[in-house]
This record gives sequence, C-alpha cells and structure tokens, in this order.
Amino acid sequence: MVLIALFIVAVGAAWWATHRQAPAVGDSIVVYSTKVDGTTLLPWRVSLGSARDRSSVAFYAATQCVAGPPPSVDAVRFPAGTHVRAVDVEGTTADVDLSPEVDASAAGGFAEAAEFKALVWTLTQPQLGIDAVRVRIGGARVATLPGGHLELDEPLSRASF
Amino acid sequence: MNRSPAHRSDRAFAALACLSLVLGPLAARGQERASPLWFQGTRLIFSHAVPLADDLAVPTRDPGMRHFLERLGATVSYDPQQRYVVVTSEDRRSIVFTLGDPTYAIGGVRARAPFAPRADGDDVDLPFFTLARALYVEPLVDGGETVLQPRIGALDVRTDGPHTSVSVTGAMPLVTDGQHDSPERLQLAFVGQGSALGPLRDALGPAVSTIDVAVGGTARVPTTTLTIAGTPGSTHRIVSGPAPDTLIIVFDAPSSGAVAVARTPPTPPPLPAEVGPIGSALTPPPSAEPGPTAAPPIVAGRATVTDLEIAPGADDALSVQVTLSGAVPYTWHRLPDHRWYVDLAEATLTGPGREEHPSFGAVQSVRVAQIGGDDAPAVRIAFTMSADQQVDLAPSASGLTITVSTAPATDLLRAGSGQTGGAPLVASSVMPGPEPTPSAPSGPGSRIIVIDPGHGGDDHGTEHNGLSEKAITLDIADRLRALLLAQGWNVRMTRETDVDPVTAANLARMRADGVANPTDRAYLQTRCDVANDVNARLFISIHVNSAPISSARGTTFYWYKPQDLPFAQALEKSVIPAAATQDDGTRHENFYVIRHTTMPAVLIETAFITNLEDVGLLRQPAFLQRLAQGIANGVKAYAGSPAANAVSQQQ
Repeated sequence: MVLIALFIVAVGAAWWATHRQAPAVGDSIVVYSTKVDGTTLLPWRVSLGSARDRSSVAFYAATQCVAGPPPSVDAVRFPAGTHVRAVDVEGTTADVDLSPEVDASAAGGFAEAAEFKALVWTLTQPQLGIDAVRVRIGGARVATLPGGHLELDEPLSRASF
Repeated sequence: MNRSPAHRSDRAFAALACLSLVLGPLAARGQERASPLWFQGTRLIFSHAVPLADDLAVPTRDPGMRHFLERLGATVSYDPQQRYVVVTSEDRRSIVFTLGDPTYAIGGVRARAPFAPRADGDDVDLPFFTLARALYVEPLVDGGETVLQPRIGALDVRTDGPHTSVSVTGAMPLVTDGQHDSPERLQLAFVGQGSALGPLRDALGPAVSTIDVAVGGTARVPTTTLTIAGTPGSTHRIVSGPAPDTLIIVFDAPSSGAVAVARTPPTPPPLPAEVGPIGSALTPPPSAEPGPTAAPPIVAGRATVTDLEIAPGADDALSVQVTLSGAVPYTWHRLPDHRWYVDLAEATLTGPGREEHPSFGAVQSVRVAQIGGDDAPAVRIAFTMSADQQVDLAPSASGLTITVSTAPATDLLRAGSGQTGGAPLVASSVMPGPEPTPSAPSGPGSRIIVIDPGHGGDDHGTEHNGLSEKAITLDIADRLRALLLAQGWNVRMTRETDVDPVTAANLARMRADGVANPTDRAYLQTRCDVANDVNARLFISIHVNSAPISSARGTTFYWYKPQDLPFAQALEKSVIPAAATQDDGTRHENFYVIRHTTMPAVLIETAFITNLEDVGLLRQPAFLQRLAQGIANGVKAYAGSPAANAVSQQQ
C-alpha cells in the first residue's frame, strides 16, 4: 500500500514537473495594439493554443497583432487583408514577412508608426527573448513602405519608437 | 537477341519523340527568325526566344532583351530566391511578374499575360510582347516583319486650382520636332513615337479646352502630334518631368499669378547659334507676345551691364557677378546637354561679348553675348557644364549673381524667370537668398535651410476627400520658403515641382551596395543629401497625415536624433498657436529623412487628411499660410536670424 502510494506520488510529481516546464513561454502571450491616439499601447492577452516553441509563438503573436483586437476595441489596425507570411527567429532578432496589403498603411506617418510600434512591442516582450524585428514585405526587404516614412530595412526595436 | 518489328517500331517512335523534344524548341526559335523583330531601325536578335501562346518567351538576361530594356531606360531585377520579377520603366512604373502566375501588375493594376513566367535555371522567361506593351512599345506587323513601335502611352491631365498640368509619357525620351506656340495653344510633334491615345475634350480644368492627338508617318517612323488648346487668356509653360520620357506642360488660367510669370520677358530674344537649337529640346523659347494678363510688378526700362566679374566661389563653384544700371527681367533655361543660360531682357553690353574657359570650377565655358535687335536687346550669359549642376540665381538691387556649384542640379524645372533690381521674384525654380550660396558658412552657422515637401511625382502620399498630400506639402513649402527668405535665410527645396527627386548617383550607389529595394531608399536619401551636402542649418520635412480612424486630427512633430527634439519643441510652440490645430505633440519615430540627415531635422505632419475638421482647414490657403508662418516663427525662435547666427558663430 505504501509502495503504491509512493508510486502515485512519484508519478504525480514527475507529471507536475514536466508539465510545469514544458510551455517555456507560458500559456498565453501579450499582444499589443496602438490606441487611436497613435501612440498609447493597448495590451491584451491571448491564449497560445498549441504553439509552444519560440518561432511558433512569435508567429502566433505577430499574427494576432496584425489581426488586431476584437472589433469593439478602438485601435489603429493594419490594412484589411494584411497577414503574416512567416516569422523566423534567429538569436534575438525576429524576421517578419508581411503580406503586401500592409503597403496601404504608408499614407501618412500616423498609421504606419502605430502599426509597427504594436508589432515590435508584441514581438519584443521579454518571454520571447527577442529584442529586434526585421521586416520584409511580400518576401522582400524594403527601405520603407512605398511612399512611407518609417525606415524598415534596419531592425526595429522598442527604442525606435 | 532478336527484336520484333513491334519493338523496332516502338524504338523508332521513341527516338522520334526524343528528337522532337530536342528539336521542337529549336524549330520554335526558328520561327522567331522567320518573323524578324525591328526596333528603332535595327533588328532585335534574341539568343533564346520561344514563341508561346501568341507571345514570345524571352529570358531576362538574353542579350536582345537587355538591349531592348536599355534602349527604353528600363531595368529588371530578379533574384532566383524570389518569386517576383520587377521591371521598372524609365518613368518609374513597375511591372511585376510572378513566377507561375499569368497575372502581372503594372503600377498596381493587375492584368493577364498569355502565359506565366517560368524559371529557367537562374533566369526567368518573360512574355516579351506583354512586357513591351507595358513599356508603351506596340508590336506591329509591317511587310511580313514585326516592328516594335515606341508610343506615347500616357496623357495625364491634373487640375490644381487655376493650373492644369498635362503630363505626356512616351516609351522613349521625348524629342520634339519643332513646336508651334502661342499663349493659348501649344502644338508639339514627337518624332519616332506613335500613339493610340484619343483626344480629350471634357473635364480638362479651367485652363485647357481640348487636347488632340494625331498620328502620322509610318509604322517604322511614326510621328505623334499633340495639340493643346488653352482657354481664352491662358498661358503655358513646359517643365521637365521626372524622367526624359515624360514632359509636363502647365497651363495657367488667366487669374493665375503664374500667368504674369510665364510671360514676363517682353520680347523673345532669339537663340544664337552657339547656344544651340532648342527646337529639339523640351524647353520652349519665351513667347513672342506678352500674356494678356501680364501685369508683373516690374518697372523695367533699358539697362546696361556696367560690370561683369567671373570669379571662383566656395567649394569649387563659379560665380558670375553682373552689375546693371537698372532693373531688368530675366529668364533662364536649362538645356538637356548640360548647358544653361540666362537672358537679361532690355539689357545691353557696353563692350563686345566675351567667352572664357575658367581653369576652376565645374564650368567648361562661359559666354556673354549681346543678342536681339535694337528694338529688343538682351544680354545672354551661357554656361557649358560638365554635368547638370546646380545653378543658383541671386537678384539684388545692383544686378544679379549667378553661382554654378559642383552639386547636382535639384531644380528640375528647365526654365524660370525673375527680375533684378530688388523687386520680388516672380517665378523661378531657384531660391534667391540675401547672400550667394557659396559664401554661406556650413554647420551650425550655415545660412541654408532645406525644406522637404513630402512625396511628389508618382508618390502621391495620402489622398482623401479630394485632397492630395503631395500638392499640399509643396504649397506649404513654397509659402515657407518665401517667409524664410524674408528672414534672411538661404533656402533650398528638395523638390520644387511635382516630382520625386532622385540623383543618378544615389540610384547607382544603392544598387552597387546591393541594398534591397534600392529605388525607394535612393529617393529618400536624395532628399537627405540635399541638406547633408551643404551642411544645412536645419531640415524641415512637411507632410500631411492620414489615419484609418477619422477621429484622429491635429499636428504632430516627429523627431529622431536627440538634437532634433529642441527644434521640434520650438516648432510645436509656434505652429500650434498660429495654425490653431490640435497639438498632437512631439513624437520620436524612426522616419528615414529625419534619421539620415545630419542636422536638426523635424518631420511635421501638419494635419489629418482623413479628418473632416482638418480637411476643412487644409482646403483654406489662409490655413496653409498660417502653418508656414508658424514654422517660420519656430525657426526664428530656435535658430534666431541668420545674421545673428553667423555673428554668434564667429564669436
């Protein structure tokens, strides 16, 4: 009986230990959007689902950021149709490939600054271990969005905004 | 081992099949030879071309393709790691093909090619005829041969208040064979380019009545004649476009102040032989008649040139100081072959003309000549330069100072006019300052302020509610320039017309460095270089904001470098009270032009084009003037006056 009890305790302890450490980035992640004042960040927390490794979580977080908060929330949103094509994480830099629909946000510095600020803050949250974000549009590096203002061909960090 | 007849038959069939696979493409290539392609009087020969679905599959690196694109001034970029092939025309239109996808995009507009581009090793086959048409070259059958005829492919009419701009874009650089010119009517004949464009009759703005396009000649040597009829009392001027294949003609309605400008010279002095024919250039000679509404604030009688000194200026520049006995109007012209001249109307030389070949500076020769008859004398000062270099004009009470610097030209206008004698400048693409530019000290003591009107040319910026950002930014910049000149600053603009400025050097350098998307970066860097190259005191970039939510409004002052912030704060303190807009404060952003300029620089988003309240303001010239005045006040608060600034630097 004692052996059985010890066995159950050992199994339970092992399960607790392994499941406590498996989600290295936690069960949820903070996704930022920028309020309609163009500068104030609005954090909201989303569940991670099955994403666990760093690249998958980064892709998931970037996708959530680009999709934006629920419709009832007033925020600056990426242009309709914009989606994340890929996120590659190497060291402390994430390389985000956005679909070309994002070009539409270049008109005026307000929208593009607000959008990319939210994206950079989302990907550089501490639990991801990322401190810089490189951007591609449609697979290509760009100096700015067409007609845009924000320099995109060098990594962006929180200090960029 | 015995083989049955059936087996032998199978082998023969297989052999034939293999042979056909090998010879098929060769036979197809032979078809291209059977129908030769002619372009610009020479046969276009491809090394690897395969007829396919009513088109011709040609690799981008095929010598014939390269020759064709080079003649058109187009470039192609393709990275085997990517799916996109981007061809950029001389006038910066992008034709984007996608591997495996027959749809392609011309300047963002999607179309369908007969077949999808396909990878061929590290190259890609493009539908050649489709590409040619996108570049305004039409394949025509002529006597059993295919002639690739360059065409006038676009005629764009835009109205801005009393001005109507007609932009003509051809496949090749536009060369006119004579022009027939009167104030209200302009006829230009473009030799070597056909057209399929029809006439325009409606909605041409207040200054243009009709535009007719007539095509003559043959398939191989076509001529397109463009006739623009202005409204009664209108006048016109021709300016260069963003590329040699684009020409912009601006018609001004009678109420426009520019009418007086274009017709300031009372008499057109003829061009002497040494200056060269202008009929083939894009710059018209001054009109023979003063405009019907010509009433410039000029009181000009005849004057004599009492002194003319040619001397070296700062930074290897050349300075010509002209002293006149009285006030005269002048017109200047930039010719396509690195020549530039100014005509001082109603002026005479006291001695013979002269020609000098200075041993300094970037000028190969300077010629001074008396032109015109007794009834319409004029003094012409002409320069032959080694490149299109910056020429600054500074009229003063005693005459005119002309400075030719080694910097590349930023004044893309090819003609302008003004007046000596201290009266206000009526029109010019140059920025006369109180002092000649070369004498301006650089760095913190510099007298030069650079204004950057955001966007321009193909880059329209944001457009909403019937307003276009690029037009508003230029309007504010023009107003600000006048105010800063009045403060005593020497002002340079990154653009003075509807163009997106870029230097060939920047384009080449960006490409050589392998920087991705070199075009965009080159264009932005050119704006920065205008300020960096002269070590300007301040850089002011003017923009109009846009937001996906209509409630966003107000004025924002963006800064990047620490040294920008005090300047941004000074502008905020002066602009907000003057313009009475919502203060959105100063913001730190990684914007290209303020990051890559070396002096205090601020990007001002003046108001939101997406907010109805701000739009109401942006429509008012008085508001644009208040904005400019606020910025000028901020410059004064931050940097003082240029004279005081120079003194403080000396101390």
